Amino acid sequence: MNAGERLTDANFPAHPEKATLEGKNKFLGFWLFLGGETVLFATLFGTYLGLRNMHLDGPSGEELFSLPLVFLATMLLLTSSLTSVYAVLSLKQNKVRSLQGWFLVTLLLGLGFLGLEIYEFIHYVHEGHTFTSSAFGSAFYTLVGFHGAHVLFGILWITTLLARNWNRGITLSNAPKYYLFALYWHFVDVVWVFIFTVVYLMGKVG
Amino acid sequence: MATHESHKKRSGLMDWLTTVDHKKIGILYLLAGGFFFLIGGLEAVLMRIQLMEPDSKIFTGELYNQLLTMHGTTMIFLAAMPIIFGFMNAIVPLQLGARDVAFPYVNAVGFWLFFFGGVLLNLSWFLGGAPEAGWTAYAPLSTVAEDTGVDFYVLGLQIAGAGTLAGGINFLVTIINMRAPGMTFMRMPLFTWASFVTSGLILFAFPALTVGFFLLMFERVFDANFFNPDMGGNILIWEHIFWIFGHPEVYILILPAFGIISEVISTFSNKRLFGYSAMVFATVLIGFLGFMVWVHHMFTVGLGPVANSIFAVATMAIAIPTGVKIFNWIFTMWGGQIRFSTAMLFAVGFVPTFVMGGVTGVMLSVPAADYQYHDSYFVVAHFHYVIVGGLILGLFSGLYYWYPRMFNRVLNETLGKWNFWLFFIGFHLTFFPQHWLGLMGMPRRVYTYMSGQELDGANFVSTIGAILMGAGTIVLLINIIISASSKYATTKDPWDGRTLEWSMPVPTPEYNFAQTPLVRGLDALYVEKTAGNGEMTPAEPVGEIHMPNGSILPFILSLGMFIAGFGFIYSNWYVAGAGLGLVLITMFLRSIIDDHGYHIHKEEVEADIKGGRA
Amino acid sequence: MANHTQNPETTVHRHEEIQRKLALKEERKHHNVSFVMMILLTIVAFFAIWSDKISDSFAVLFILTLAVVQVFFQLYVWMHLSHKGHDFPIWGMASGILVAAITVASLMGLIWTS
Repeated sequence: MNAGERLTDANFPAHPEKATLEGKNKFLGFWLFLGGETVLFATLFGTYLGLRNMHLDGPSGEELFSLPLVFLATMLLLTSSLTSVYAVLSLKQNKVRSLQGWFLVTLLLGLGFLGLEIYEFIHYVHEGHTFTSSAFGSAFYTLVGFHGAHVLFGILWITTLLARNWNRGITLSNAPKYYLFALYWHFVDVVWVFIFTVVYLMGKVG
Repeated sequence: MATHESHKKRSGLMDWLTTVDHKKIGILYLLAGGFFFLIGGLEAVLMRIQLMEPDSKIFTGELYNQLLTMHGTTMIFLAAMPIIFGFMNAIVPLQLGARDVAFPYVNAVGFWLFFFGGVLLNLSWFLGGAPEAGWTAYAPLSTVAEDTGVDFYVLGLQIAGAGTLAGGINFLVTIINMRAPGMTFMRMPLFTWASFVTSGLILFAFPALTVGFFLLMFERVFDANFFNPDMGGNILIWEHIFWIFGHPEVYILILPAFGIISEVISTFSNKRLFGYSAMVFATVLIGFLGFMVWVHHMFTVGLGPVANSIFAVATMAIAIPTGVKIFNWIFTMWGGQIRFSTAMLFAVGFVPTFVMGGVTGVMLSVPAADYQYHDSYFVVAHFHYVIVGGLILGLFSGLYYWYPRMFNRVLNETLGKWNFWLFFIGFHLTFFPQHWLGLMGMPRRVYTYMSGQELDGANFVSTIGAILMGAGTIVLLINIIISASSKYATTKDPWDGRTLEWSMPVPTPEYNFAQTPLVRGLDALYVEKTAGNGEMTPAEPVGEIHMPNGSILPFILSLGMFIAGFGFIYSNWYVAGAGLGLVLITMFLRSIIDDHGYHIHKEEVEADIKGGRA
Repeated sequence: MANHTQNPETTVHRHEEIQRKLALKEERKHHNVSFVMMILLTIVAFFAIWSDKISDSFAVLFILTLAVVQVFFQLYVWMHLSHKGHDFPIWGMASGILVAAITVASLMGLIWTS
């Protein structure tokens, strides 16, 4: 069977994302990539933790951070993680329209999160907390910015993926791509769990 | 098949620029790595010429600093690692019985990223001077340097490092998912095992370096304050990040050499490798311990006696699995019918040389003693014994061993022996006296020394040795040129090999195996030879073979990174944006153009088999 | 004859189909439960910091534990690490987390001060 062919309910495999060797390879390779990303973010977290009290004359995290805003951002990203797992459920049932719908919701929630983050950064800069103002500033924007860049990349990724496959069904070639995006998006949320805990909540108690 | 028509055969330069064939990418890695090896070697000889006489004034001050920085950086990132990747690409899929690697396209991206990163770094010589902060680029030395040298270092290596990470993931997945039927983990040849563990180390060590390079780049290009104590920064952050990557890195380098030595010693002793499972276990254990010892590079930082002691003990522990390996190689040779080909000479030379490097390593692992050795020529002697005496001898051995498989010609054995003896004697002449130089107090990274301190004689001998090593390398070059101008001259199995890569015809077909082989034991080919078959039993009937299409996109993507690198070095945001834009466009094109590859028809495969080509 | 051999097959097929549907329904339930759990964990974490009644040092340890629990929900339920065929992904993540842990520990200063 051609990997680009639309799957029917009759020939639909139990794990369309891993039904071909290419899919198996992508699945495993992406998981390993996420293992590497764990180390990448850990290095950023370590740097932040080492430097987080070095705010010099500028405002400290305790003075800056606004918990309601962070809570809202957290809810947006958490919900987007749920909608992407719903999309994966639709993938397993060969329901392409529902898959597209859930990923669209994910995309919108991701955009909302990104908007909040940009608003937050602009606000901080006005408060005198900039990238170059202190070691704390550099470490904060690098860690949170790296996460934001991941969100942005995810948005570009799912937009391209949805646009390219809008008029196609689920195939053995695009099923792994949808699945991998969902993994990526969950991972972005995993990182955020530690960011709101370590950066914002721990920042509030000094 | 509708997909067949999309396949275009390319030739000449375009074929090499677009190839996704792991065998060709292996050759590209070997050529590019070999080129950078010559540059790094030249830098080494220039340094030794400066140090030949006391108070010499040939390459002084900043220029000497640039030479030593570029020598270390080039040799580690642009010579040793790519040559290792060259062998991994050329050999691992064949040893597994696989038709391809898991991600042929990503593989090509990895090569071109490394290539452009290396070129970017070396262009610094012509654009305002090379980096001068040492290969470790310690802050604040690297952050206060005012010229663009360190910018080239950080961006060149960032780009090359991304390629290495891609390569690491590719080989992990290839080895896990694409083994032939019967090729269980505990039947994999040791080189494949070493490649597996090395790829794992790359996966978990390189992201730390990626972040380190980002921090250093932000510090230099965007005025961040990670390492600036005046602004609350801390220089130790760089040192920790660098060595969290840096120590696994030396195991990334040495494990493949261990793998090569295991293959060569077993083949040329006509014996199964002694203690195969212990060898596998030792390889994995060395990989694991490699992450637990980085602080031994920082004993003199003053982290305190508790931290120093813990890391000292962990470091000494590595001597145990390494010792297991040394004894297993000796026991493999014991009682074997040893053939001293050039490959075997390098392997036999490796064993005692590496032991010497290991012994000084254990000496250095004692913190109290390390305060004495630190930053002296003793350390230089130690790591050249493990990296040149270990890794480079291993790579030379592998080159002579696998040259027939990669290039369809055998290298000349007489020249090979000249190569070995010149290089081997030159090596010991160069680095053995450096132990004493270090103990007598000669600091490393200093461009000269005064006469009358009893340092003259050993330095002179060391330089003579370096010239001999250079001569040995030139003999290798002559050997390669002679073989390149001769016709194909090899049988498919010139060494009476034991593993799968020697079971296939010369030249290796583009699809590797016409029929996936059935593996029936460790040393798969040897098992069939003793069973009287002489060749592998196929595990499947002849059929259509699926192949990936070549693509120019990896080249263009890496070119985009190269352009963006220049943009960041000169703080020109238009150029940086254009380069990154090119990267995004290639990624976009790759995702919207459907590329399902093409198929080689059953009839073509059958014709190849009949014609002895498969 | 064809009918005779096909019948059991379709029955088996339909049986598998029903099982799969049930499994997916079960999965959806798990996803929903973990979503609620994660929302609760998040609220509790925010509350622990908000409230003045909980001492700061305890709150930090507490919210870090909550974060780890929440991440396990993500990895095992939403990213399906609990499913079959995830041995190597688990190895990969476990190794990554190990290296991550020693990296964070050394950078945040645990080793500098000993």
